[in-house]
Amino acid sequence: MDFAFTEEQMMFKDQVIRFATREIVPRAQEHDLKGEFDFKSFRRLGEFGVLGLHFPEGLGGSDADVVTTTLAGEALGEAGVDGGLSLAYGAHTFLCADTIFAHGTDTQRGKYIPKLCSGELIGCMGLTEPGAGSDVASMTTHAQKREDGYVLNGNKMFITNGPIADVAVVYAKTEKDQKHTGISAFIVEKGTPGFSAGKNLNKMGVRSSHTSELIFDDCKIPKENLIGQERAGFLMAMQTVEWDRSALMAPFVGGMTYVLNKCVRYARERQQFGRPISQFQAIKHKLADIKIFIEAARSLVYRIAWSKDQGKPLNHLEAAVAKLFIGDWSLGPANDAVTLHGGYGYCHEYDVERAFRDGRLAPIGGGTSEIAKMIISKLI
Amino acid sequence: MNFDFGETEKAICEKIKGLFDANSRASLANLESVDVNDIRDATMKWLRVLAQAGYLTPGLDDRKNNVGLTAIQESLAAISPSLFLTVEVTARIFGRLVAVYGTSDQKDEIIPSLQEGRLIGAVAISEDTMNIENDPLNASGVNNDDGFLVSGSKGHVVNGPIADWIAVAAKTGDGLAFFLVKKGTKGLAIGQRLSMLGYDGLTISRVSLENCPVPSNCIIGPFNGEEQLKTVRTWEDQILTASSLGLIKRSLDVALKFAKGHRSGNKPIIAYQEVGFKLAEMATLFQTARLLAYRAAWMAEAGDREAAVLAHCAKVFCTESAEEVASHALQILGGQGYLSGNPAEEAYRDAKYLQIAGTSSEISRMKIADGVLGD
Repeated sequence: MDFAFTEEQMMFKDQVIRFATREIVPRAQEHDLKGEFDFKSFRRLGEFGVLGLHFPEGLGGSDADVVTTTLAGEALGEAGVDGGLSLAYGAHTFLCADTIFAHGTDTQRGKYIPKLCSGELIGCMGLTEPGAGSDVASMTTHAQKREDGYVLNGNKMFITNGPIADVAVVYAKTEKDQKHTGISAFIVEKGTPGFSAGKNLNKMGVRSSHTSELIFDDCKIPKENLIGQERAGFLMAMQTVEWDRSALMAPFVGGMTYVLNKCVRYARERQQFGRPISQFQAIKHKLADIKIFIEAARSLVYRIAWSKDQGKPLNHLEAAVAKLFIGDWSLGPANDAVTLHGGYGYCHEYDVERAFRDGRLAPIGGGTSEIAKMIISKLI
Repeated sequence: MNFDFGETEKAICEKIKGLFDANSRASLANLESVDVNDIRDATMKWLRVLAQAGYLTPGLDDRKNNVGLTAIQESLAAISPSLFLTVEVTARIFGRLVAVYGTSDQKDEIIPSLQEGRLIGAVAISEDTMNIENDPLNASGVNNDDGFLVSGSKGHVVNGPIADWIAVAAKTGDGLAFFLVKKGTKGLAIGQRLSMLGYDGLTISRVSLENCPVPSNCIIGPFNGEEQLKTVRTWEDQILTASSLGLIKRSLDVALKFAKGHRSGNKPIIAYQEVGFKLAEMATLFQTARLLAYRAAWMAEAGDREAAVLAHCAKVFCTESAEEVASHALQILGGQGYLSGNPAEEAYRDAKYLQIAGTSSEISRMKIADGVLGD
């Protein structure tokens, strides 16, 4: 066993932290409070290379391995980038771009990947529906096959980047009567007649990411927009799980390090009863619990990343364990961080409040904790 | 980066597991709650078996191999929690104390027999308060003509009633030393075996010394400061962390087997979410605890600057998870879980020990916080 990162990996992580601290973090609070997407920061992520890190150089990426990509996610969180921007990045890069890259044709790759890497285009992915959340196979969005393409009808719900996306990867049933095996994946571009996005949903957290419904009303798309084979969509959606449980979860873990650092600073400065509150046992125990969570969660995420780098098939048990642990066990420490800050912790100006709201998505998004438990209980 | 065990580690773990067939596992179950002499006989028998498998050597040689050590410990801890602690205190605390800090004469006398599984050791540190952080030791060794006279009283000495050798921590004029005291030495009094909540097969007692003569070649130290005491405590913490992994595995295995086999309303109870989801949480704690324990072990091996903090994180998380998993397991087993002698019920009682012994959960959290505060 060896838990070491390479020197290059650690240097890169530091670079990302420095870049994000300088250019992105100062803008995070404003965008969170207004609930506005930070286009400028997103574009800077692209220019810096974060958005396309793991794609081949020829397509505008950096050929990074999965561990390095995951480190970049952790670095964003650790620097203090809000959960909204991290989520927008995750949905864009791993749920949209990677699906096109992994299953698309060379033409599709060439057309979309370089611009998704640079951030010129913003991507989203539509799987969930108003009536089909955890029960993915019950989706009703239909792709009717015509001679020259497909006609999409149906609604997608809670789509990260929905209102701002230029490119959407959309899952729809080509075989209405079938469940998982009837699902196919398509690329739908913004502006396609019959395709529109609903208004930005007002959310508890990850507020700088925009979330909306996607509406397909006799939306005609050419047959070239099918990704891979018909009826292979469910497997594609499941393949994003590896990324979801490593690179996409990493900002949550890094974010808790940021929260811990905030708590440490506050506890040292805040004086009560004639001494810094960092000297009280109750405060120290909270700091310890946050630290324990971070260290416990970290290995789970890197195990998935490392396994993918080794070319091992996804271990669904390990992936669900990582999702469940980070989702459910992070809430206590995030709550502790707010409590530790007292009245200030309850105010918007303090980042722990934002982290608390952002973190609440972890047990819901990308497969709920309950779904993780279903998967685990079936596999053990 | 590599999350897999090496081939050597896999091989020795398989070897350890292979030592215990169904019959011997049953006899180990009988180890619990029997009298001190029977426990000593059984321990001596298993020490020799484990010695032949190479179990007793790690920690006694110069090789730093914390990951490999944790791997074999996890295997034995899942087979018999009490035998595990008895053996570990002998080899990895008493034995390692001699191997790391002892003189070459002491090593020559003790280490070969220890590696062959021919002696049981104990280390007596804690006194009445159990808190070696806040309260200095009262036991002391006073120079006399041909050695020392050691006096003092030690509160909870693991293996006290069955040990051949006890290393007693005591003050000396110029610092702190461990006195190697042989069973039967004049002035050494072993108290009654203490009755405890868990670890039914572990023997713990008070140990008192009154002007107990210890020859000068049987002293380890004296040392300035308490560095060595702290090091011994890190060994203890590591053992307790590994012990938790064993308890978690036992609890999870028995609950899983029951939940798949026991049917209610025409389906196995694992098919009910209130059971299946509990098992999912237990499995999640198990995987997370393991990874944390192994990463802490790896960091200690690599000499990482955060190694000490990580070791405390692992101890708190693993020992507290052990209680939670055991509690869930007991609940899943229902009425059967409440009966004495099943692994979940035992683990539920055992787990508390792990949070109290070594560096307690409370002190561990203080140390973790000191680490993150940079104090």
